[in-house]
Amino acid sequence: MERAELALFFREGLFLPDMKARTKEEALEELVDLFVREHLVRNRGIVLEMLHKREALGSTGIGKGVAIPHGRTLAAPDIVIAFGRSRQGIEYDAMDGKPVHLFFLVLAPPQDQSNKYLPVLGKLVEMLSEDENCQKLMQVESFQEFIDVVVGEK
Amino acid sequence: MLRNQLEMLVALQDLDCMLREVEDVKALGFEVPGKVDLEKAREELARQISPPLLSTYERLRARYKRAIVPVKDNKCLGCFMRLPTSLGARGRKDEEVITCEGCGRILYWLD
Ligand SMILES: [Zn+2]
Repeated sequence: MERAELALFFREGLFLPDMKARTKEEALEELVDLFVREHLVRNRGIVLEMLHKREALGSTGIGKGVAIPHGRTLAAPDIVIAFGRSRQGIEYDAMDGKPVHLFFLVLAPPQDQSNKYLPVLGKLVEMLSEDENCQKLMQVESFQEFIDVVVGEK
Repeated sequence: MLRNQLEMLVALQDLDCMLREVEDVKALGFEVPGKVDLEKAREELARQISPPLLSTYERLRARYKRAIVPVKDNKCLGCFMRLPTSLGARGRKDEEVITCEGCGRILYWLD
């Protein structure tokens, strides 16, 4: 998957550059609420429960201030990604123990016909493993600037 | 009795799906230490399922993502073949393990 294709899974309504959450729990709720507000998720509780179960198996805080909570759920009609940023950072029980600043919440239906769920996750991990991209994402001011970073254009 | 076995097999299948997802995301670089607990739960569950049923399941699982599927409106929800109504009558008796004539998957009746 190309970065330009990855960019198609984001939406302006799921872009939250100033998260209010202070805890892991609040962070997940704040991000899921974006999906609810955009009418992409009807059953908030089911999605949160699925995400908590996933976190119980191992934190999705992959280190360097990045978390990619993810999962499949009947509550999601399509693959969609929310982006959230916390300037102060949130304790997320991440692999390196550092607070998380950049959140990418990926939801997918139980069977996505296009089989894009894993490629999407893989591309995100790859993009976020580059420090330069994370630094840029800490600076973006608008959804358009955010998308430019995802696409990878200078 | 058999009903109970089939229910456990469905639970086993759910666990196997979860384990597969965990494998997939591990390959992408996520750490999933809880996987060992899932595996332990799977082992315990598998031990309670009769060996012939379990081996049928394992054999089918090599071929299909879902080896045990429900029947709805006389249709196998694995391959959507229409099944003879007599099969439904036998299946609902819970006396024998019934497999789909079309795809070979293990069947259970929801109604
Ligand atoms: Zn069938």
